[in-house]
Amino acid sequence: MILCQHKLSRSNRDKLQQFVAITGASDKNALQALKASDWQLEAAFDVFYSQPQPRSNDPYSDMILAEGISVLCSDLQVEPQDIVTLVLSWHMNAATACEFSKEEFFGGLQALGVDSIGKLQEKLSFMRSELKDEQKFHEIYNFAFGWAKEKGQKSLALDTAIGMWQLLFAEREWPLVNHWCDFLQDRHNKAISKDTWAQLLEFARTVDPALSNYDAEGAWPYLIDEFVEYLYDKSVVEK
Amino acid sequence: MNLMTQSKESDSYLDTGDDASSSIKASTRDPSMLSELIAKRSFRASQNLSNQTSTVLKQRPAFNLASKVDEAAIPGERFLGILMLESKKLMNLKAPNTLIYRSRLSEERVNRIKPRGSRNWGQSPISSIYRFFFLGFDYCNCSDSGPSSSPAAMSNQKKRNFQIEAFKHRVVVDPKYADKTWQILERAIHQIYNQDASGLSFEELYRNAYNMVLHKFGEKLYTGFIATMTGHLKEKARLIEAAQGGAFLEELNKKWNEHNKALEMIRDILMYMDRTYIESTKKPHVHPMGLSLWRDNVVHSPKIHTRLLNTLLDLVYKERTGEVIDRGLVRNVTKMFMDLGESVYQDDFEKPFLEASSEFYKVESQEFIESCDCGDYLKKAEKRLTEEIDRVGHYLDAKSEDKITSVVEREMIANHMQRLVHMENSGLVNMLLNDKYEDLGRMYSLFRRVTNGLATVRDVMTLHLREMGKQLVTDPEKSKDPVEFVQRLLDERDKYDKIISTAFGNDKTFQNASNSSFEYFINLNTRSPEFISLFVDDKLRKGLKGIADVDVEVILDKVMMLFRYLQEKDVFEKYYKQHLAKRLLSGKTVSDDAEKSLIVKLKTECGYQFTSKLEGMFTDMKTSEDTMRGFYGSHPELSEGPTLTVQVLTTGSWPTQPAVPCNLPAEVSVLCEKFRSYYLGTHTGRRLSWQTNMGTADIKAVFGKGQKHELNVSTFQMCVLMLFNNSDRLSYKEIEQATEIPAPELKRCLQSLACVKGKNVIKKEPMSKDIGEDDLFVVNDKFTSKFYKVKIGTVVAQKETEPEKQETRQRVEEDRKPQIEAAIVRIMKSRKILDHNNIIAEVTKQLQPRFLANPTEIKKRIESLIERDFLERDNTDRKLYRYLA
Repeated sequence: MILCQHKLSRSNRDKLQQFVAITGASDKNALQALKASDWQLEAAFDVFYSQPQPRSNDPYSDMILAEGISVLCSDLQVEPQDIVTLVLSWHMNAATACEFSKEEFFGGLQALGVDSIGKLQEKLSFMRSELKDEQKFHEIYNFAFGWAKEKGQKSLALDTAIGMWQLLFAEREWPLVNHWCDFLQDRHNKAISKDTWAQLLEFARTVDPALSNYDAEGAWPYLIDEFVEYLYDKSVVEK
Repeated sequence: MNLMTQSKESDSYLDTGDDASSSIKASTRDPSMLSELIAKRSFRASQNLSNQTSTVLKQRPAFNLASKVDEAAIPGERFLGILMLESKKLMNLKAPNTLIYRSRLSEERVNRIKPRGSRNWGQSPISSIYRFFFLGFDYCNCSDSGPSSSPAAMSNQKKRNFQIEAFKHRVVVDPKYADKTWQILERAIHQIYNQDASGLSFEELYRNAYNMVLHKFGEKLYTGFIATMTGHLKEKARLIEAAQGGAFLEELNKKWNEHNKALEMIRDILMYMDRTYIESTKKPHVHPMGLSLWRDNVVHSPKIHTRLLNTLLDLVYKERTGEVIDRGLVRNVTKMFMDLGESVYQDDFEKPFLEASSEFYKVESQEFIESCDCGDYLKKAEKRLTEEIDRVGHYLDAKSEDKITSVVEREMIANHMQRLVHMENSGLVNMLLNDKYEDLGRMYSLFRRVTNGLATVRDVMTLHLREMGKQLVTDPEKSKDPVEFVQRLLDERDKYDKIISTAFGNDKTFQNASNSSFEYFINLNTRSPEFISLFVDDKLRKGLKGIADVDVEVILDKVMMLFRYLQEKDVFEKYYKQHLAKRLLSGKTVSDDAEKSLIVKLKTECGYQFTSKLEGMFTDMKTSEDTMRGFYGSHPELSEGPTLTVQVLTTGSWPTQPAVPCNLPAEVSVLCEKFRSYYLGTHTGRRLSWQTNMGTADIKAVFGKGQKHELNVSTFQMCVLMLFNNSDRLSYKEIEQATEIPAPELKRCLQSLACVKGKNVIKKEPMSKDIGEDDLFVVNDKFTSKFYKVKIGTVVAQKETEPEKQETRQRVEEDRKPQIEAAIVRIMKSRKILDHNNIIAEVTKQLQPRFLANPTEIKKRIESLIERDFLERDNTDRKLYRYLA
């Protein structure tokens, strides 16, 4: 599931898949084992086989985790990487991607006025339409940062951020999104701060793609300033 | 003279009274005395006087006193009487309450006004002349009542029981009276104009004019006088027109003087008309009328008007081209214009004069600028300017000075300003280059007179200074030797200081321009801070030897001037710290006082923070001395063998260079260990690391033929040399292995041991300037030196090498980050909410004394602070930052 895997680096993602393929464990358990062994496959096998997690101590016992979410997705007949799952998470006010706590899940359903899978499925088109609403898109966009970032981290890993941007700006046209992602991988290659995340939407919203109304003194994060320089350098935009 | 005329006046009034009304009889008067008085009174007296020197002035009091009768300038009662008579006539004796009262004039007062010169007065009792009865009137309805309301009259009004019948008196007016009287006056005016006034009686004429007005012939008198005068002036104009060439002005001036004299006499005769008739009809007074008649009939007469102007302008032109003219004459004529009124002066003379001047100077300045260089031109312009001011003083109105100087300024300076300043080979730049203080001073004093003049000079100077400075600091050839580089800067500064103080009158704006230019170009070279520090280093190492304290201060002050221009003072601090450390550790400081004095200067300039570490270095030096004494005190056995002097440096105060470890010779490392244990024994919880790259060593050496020398070398060099105690021949690789000195350092130290002529204690094979990895080294047995002590310096490029520079740069940048953040937090803490541009501006301002903060860097720091939850962006306005407490 894409949304879940964004927070893992590519190599870790491969390891996870390998682990699941070999042990047949659930994504959740595989993840736990791998994390516990610091992403060393061999050690993870040891962890997994020697001490299977006692169910009673599981802090995730009353949570819907990756496995459950994929079931949920198939019941709703949506792809897990569909952006509508982000909107759903937003309604649930979920703290982290790929996870719903019981409270979040129930609260969200109550707010949506939904008590069956059928009704939730009916709500999906409404949720999709919400993305077209400027104000709600803004909220969802800002929500996405906290939702997608790794727990305990202040900033969002670049890979995840780029994936999220691709997804989000597919909903809301911004012609420079690919240049932006290229630029980040090319020149920056570091995690994205919350401020930069939030300001990028402002930038996409207020500055036209030809940068005619871009103000160098306009308090944009320096990363955006550098992006503008990059666009000029690459002659993507005429000065 | 005055008293004489007083008496005349008084008599004439009495007589007037007799003739006009015959109501008062001066019965006791002696007829012979009267005739004598009248004779004295005649015009001849005054005319004779007037023919003497300064006539006009002396004549005046006589007439003036007469004119002041009404104003009671002469003792009261007598004139009261006259006025009463006048009023009686004027009022046609309408007043019913006529009283008679006795004059209260005391004898004393009569005596006081008694004329000194008239002996005849004595023949009859003086008092009786005046002790006649006065008529008193109720003046309430009389407009001319001034002096009459005396207390006596007022008090008498109450005593109505004294009332008696008024005099019955009829005035018969001769029907031809007016014509007759006017003829007398007209004749008199003719006579006055013909300068034949000696036979005229002022008293008679005055009386006639007075009577005419009194009998309501004022209009006739007024128009008659105008017509007569006009006639005369027309005649004069004709005469003036007839004058040829140079005589023209003189004639005009002569006629003008005549007219003035005549006009004054006529005015005096017509005084009464002036005061009553003209006053009530609001017509122009006699004198102004006379002047405007002159203006209209003479000055504005078509044949004179332009001729006069051209003559004057021609004279001025002649004088400008070097001829001598009669300035007095011109002065009189311009004075005439002024007398005719300021507008006449301006319209008929000043304006055309200014235009002609403008034209003249336009042509002349064009000539000059084509033929002269800038300095000569300015000299000429200055001369012209003083000439014009001189001219105004001699024969023009003082108010013209500003106007004519502004014409000269405009034509000679303002219009050619750019060309002058930029004149090739002699313009401002040339003057600056060749220190032409006089020319520069002249340019300053002339250009300051015109708008934008100084700004032009200043701009060109600034431009030149910047261009020159830019070349100076960016020329790689010139920045080879840092000391010379800075010396050049200092020289330039001295030069411009002198120019500004001697030629530009210490003008603040010029000082500012020069300062900003220096600031501009000094910072163009990023190495300026390093070079200035090196310059100070050089001075403090050797340059100040044998120089008096006062001069040391002067040099240090100058260095501080340059320091002030630096934008990156923190970079200077970095280098200064390094250089100071080297000075202190190698004991090369010439004067502790000079060192401390500079620290104090830096402290006053940049505050405590800036120098605290530098001061810490001095403290460390002092403490180390004590420590060493303690160490040797506790280890008496160490008095034999090598001596170790350790300076314990506080981390942070000193420039930290990564400690380069090297293998010390065994003898030394034993000692070091001993010191370490001693020091750590007395100071717990400290860590010592040896800064081998900073030490020096004195070693005794014996060469091939027994030459003994003491070599002063660096720690690394010592390590290398000590190796040769055990072997004669070592390869580069062997040395590197044995000492573990990092390659660049080792190469440098080998170079200084083997390749410096006169100090090559070891020989290198092959012989070459640079050290190769395959070189072999042997002791130079043939080493000789005149001196017993030989100092082997390290071949240190005094300037930093490129990578070192980069490193320092990076360290500086790194050090700036916390300072920028601290500034942001300080500002935000007090302001709570601030928008982006303001915060950038404030941070820049706050850090200005230390360095010029890069806006991008500030931005990055802000973002970092946002990430760390010190700040947040405002939800609605993304340009606003909020401080999160």
